[in-house]
Amino acid sequence: MRLPLAGPTGWPGDHPWLTAAVAAAATAGFSALVQWPVWNQDMDLSAVNLAVSVLFVLTGLLLHREPGQHGVAWALMLAGLIRSLDFVDGWSGPPWALYTEMFGAADRVLGAWAILRYPNRSLLRHQRVFLILLVIWMFAGRALIVVTSRPQWTGAPASSWWLTLDADQSLNNVLNFVSNAGEALFVLVLLVLLAMRLLRTTGLDRIVITPIIVAGLVAVVAAGTSATVQALTPLNGTPGGVYIVEGSLDMTVPLAFLVAATQRGLLLRNMTGLIASISADADIGAVRGALRSALYDPTLELVDLSVPAPGAEEPGDLDAEPADRMVEFIRTEGGSPIAVVLADPVLARYRPLFDAAVQTSGLALQNAQIQAQAAHEKLEQVRASRARIIDATLAERRRIERDLHDGVQQHLLGLAAQVTAAVSRTADPVAHAAFLEMRDGLREVLAELRDLAHGIHPAVLTQGGLGPALEDVAERLPLPVLVTVPATRASPAVEATAYYVACEALTNAVKHAGASGVTITIRITDAELTMEIADDGVGGVGGAGTPGPGTTGQGLANIADRVAALDGEVTVVSPAGAGTRLEVRIPCG
Amino acid sequence: MRLAIAEDSGLFRSSLRLLLEASGAEITASVGSGTELLAAIKADPPDVAILDIRMPPSFTDEGITTAAELRARHPAVGILMLSTYAELSYANQLLDAVSAGVGYLLKDNVTDIATLMDSLARVSVGETVIDPSIVRSLLQRKRRPSTIDGLNDRERAVLRCMAEGRSNLGIAKDLSISPRTVETHVTGIFLKLGLDQADTENNRVRAVLAFLRPG
Repeated sequence: MRLPLAGPTGWPGDHPWLTAAVAAAATAGFSALVQWPVWNQDMDLSAVNLAVSVLFVLTGLLLHREPGQHGVAWALMLAGLIRSLDFVDGWSGPPWALYTEMFGAADRVLGAWAILRYPNRSLLRHQRVFLILLVIWMFAGRALIVVTSRPQWTGAPASSWWLTLDADQSLNNVLNFVSNAGEALFVLVLLVLLAMRLLRTTGLDRIVITPIIVAGLVAVVAAGTSATVQALTPLNGTPGGVYIVEGSLDMTVPLAFLVAATQRGLLLRNMTGLIASISADADIGAVRGALRSALYDPTLELVDLSVPAPGAEEPGDLDAEPADRMVEFIRTEGGSPIAVVLADPVLARYRPLFDAAVQTSGLALQNAQIQAQAAHEKLEQVRASRARIIDATLAERRRIERDLHDGVQQHLLGLAAQVTAAVSRTADPVAHAAFLEMRDGLREVLAELRDLAHGIHPAVLTQGGLGPALEDVAERLPLPVLVTVPATRASPAVEATAYYVACEALTNAVKHAGASGVTITIRITDAELTMEIADDGVGGVGGAGTPGPGTTGQGLANIADRVAALDGEVTVVSPAGAGTRLEVRIPCG
Repeated sequence: MRLAIAEDSGLFRSSLRLLLEASGAEITASVGSGTELLAAIKADPPDVAILDIRMPPSFTDEGITTAAELRARHPAVGILMLSTYAELSYANQLLDAVSAGVGYLLKDNVTDIATLMDSLARVSVGETVIDPSIVRSLLQRKRRPSTIDGLNDRERAVLRCMAEGRSNLGIAKDLSISPRTVETHVTGIFLKLGLDQADTENNRVRAVLAFLRPG
């Protein structure tokens, strides 16, 4: 997957390094040429200026690759060139002093514009008003200074081209003061505007513009300080070091733009790594979290469209959002939507980043859906096999009960009858006593065998259904049990489960709840069997596993297990002192 | 006494035959299923037919359907059902299918030859017999205070005998009291339980059992 740092813009995309080298060489040549006289006087200053110019031009070139930033790119390149042009007055030709006097600060205005705008596509209204006023103030003020002065007054050679209308020293002093004071005020306002931008920006924008704004603040302070020093020192008496320091600090601006561009690349790599780390077993929540942290947008919402969500997440609400949200659908390869991303519109400027994140999230979500599908199929298989096991176990118990009844029990009965016959036919008192003992022993064995067979599986349940089976259980209990069961039969497994649950509940009612009566009500439909068992005992049975004063937790856990094995549900209502009601629902078929 | 046996377990059938013949009974037929029994006694019905409750082909309630069929074809033949199930629901099923001259006995009790022969004799004269162990277990239950608890000990003993299907004379003999006293107790029981005095002997048992049934 190719993830371009910025969208392709054609120029200077084809040979970026060559373009950069040519531009750098041309800028360096231009800078060296215009500063030629300064070069001889103050080599350090010229070198700093040259470096600043080249850096600005290169940064401009780099920004030119970003969509919507051509203006900023050109402004930076122009500022870089103008920066060196500031020192063109070193040449003693007639036009240069006038140019420097009038346009010496043009690079600052361009820089301020670039810093205030980037990475937006336009300025805010108050920013635009500020810059227009600044430009008007600067050029009007400087024009007024020029028309009320002679070139010598500004330290320029007398031969310079000048536009003197009315040379008036005192008026010129006043205008100079007003102009400088106004410009100082603009500098302060600019500082406030930059600080406001920093504070008001959120998410990725903040990460990207922080170095630029900081560098802008540094540059503005440096320019302000430099201007103050110039104003306080005699004409042409400003130490060259001031310009060197200012120039060096100015270099932070293009460097900050470079840092921002690099940071975008790093963010992209971090983001893809982060998304990849969660993609293995991601659910919608994990993907949402990853997107939020990767895109630095805590307000980001990811809404699952594969499951219709109730309430607030209905599509109707999504339509209401786009005014202040960026909306992007995540789709399968077939084009059907899986989820929708609602994000901070700031991310529109980080389209490649955002698209990559959304694309990766889509893969993760599709993966999760496939896994969920597989898990669902697995679960269905387990369910089917469990149902088969339950049926097989039940069939086995019925077979054992039948074998005991028809085989062992009949055989023993036959022996018992033979022994009884022998009793009456023997005259020998010893043998007679032995036969009687044998007969009594056989009777005990038969009684035990009958209980055993009944415990394995009550034949009456198979033959008569739940009604007769539960009535027989009720017969043996020392309390009245009202059994209401329809004649309708359910499947053997459902009947067996209902039977054992009822037995367990009745045992609990007798042994633990101290009940004086129990009602069992069963309803059977094609879809399900419902059974309600209510006693009037002590109640107070907690959830499964927490034995209350009434029935034991273990008994309830057994009931819950048996019912759950058939995908049924058990509800226990057991307020202390007010009896226990057990509601069981078992799906049929 | 002339008897016919339908019992699918060969060993039990032959042992039972041995036992009954030793006690002086005449076995007119000894077969393995209900249909065979109906065919075997067609020409020469016995006094009582002994049926296993669980027989081929269905191995469920074959004995009960055979009993109903037998009663329809030969109303005079008494029926004694032998069963390994001690549950009341089977006895109820039998009594629903056949009213008088019928008995429900646990197979275990064939080892008590006196009870077996007594039951056969009573069934043959039209009485109704329920296995004493079933009746005992019913009477042992703690019932609602308003019903059986209202009876005194003597009345409860009479009721148990009634439930076992004994006549007033039999109860008198059993409890060593005069038949007149038994009649007084029976009237007392019926009054206390709100039962109809005009019922016949066999309906007395059914009424008692109906009372003993759950609910």
